[in-house]
Amino acid sequence: MSDTRSHTSPQADLKKSTVQLFLAAAAWVGSTALMSFGPSAFWDFDTAITFLAIVANLIVGVLMLYSFFRHLKNMDELQRQTHLEAMALTLGITMVLTVIYGALPQAKVVASAQPANVLFVIGMSYILSVITLWLRRTRE
Amino acid sequence: MKNRLKALRADRDWTQADLADRLHVTRQTINAIEKGKYDPSLPLAFKIAAVFGMPIEEIFSPDTK
Repeated sequence: MSDTRSHTSPQADLKKSTVQLFLAAAAWVGSTALMSFGPSAFWDFDTAITFLAIVANLIVGVLMLYSFFRHLKNMDELQRQTHLEAMALTLGITMVLTVIYGALPQAKVVASAQPANVLFVIGMSYILSVITLWLRRTRE
Repeated sequence: MKNRLKALRADRDWTQADLADRLHVTRQTINAIEKGKYDPSLPLAFKIAAVFGMPIEEIFSPDTK
């Protein structure tokens, strides 16, 4: 049976997929900004152009997801397990905090709940979980 | 799970980085396995056994605590 795997080193593959993921994430942030601010700033709320911007954002988002899974595949097993556990933790933390946050406007503690704040919680939970789990296993 | 990775590596005068290179994993993974903070997957355990030229059960044993 022939070996169809890449012959570059795992570290080189990981570096390459990290760069690709960074570029895909940057493109997604850019296309999200265009979709959000483009209608008022560039094309005077033209519905057809807005629709194209949404489709472009969706396509770039799918490409970012693809890059993320490729990056995950290029990690070694301890790195991959750390990230998967961090995702599980992030899901739990986000669920608990989102329920609380969603109840705040009804309780008139805040005026309205903003989705961007949930994204912030997801991002911070993921980053802190990865760092904590990695340090717990690899601290010398 | 207990393992003899550190002793076997020392017998061959390999650093953690040397073993990591042979197994295509990070040095941190070797360190975590040696310290018992991470149990390797079955494929990695077989790779470790192949690198040391020993049966898997002579390297890894169940933790009977």
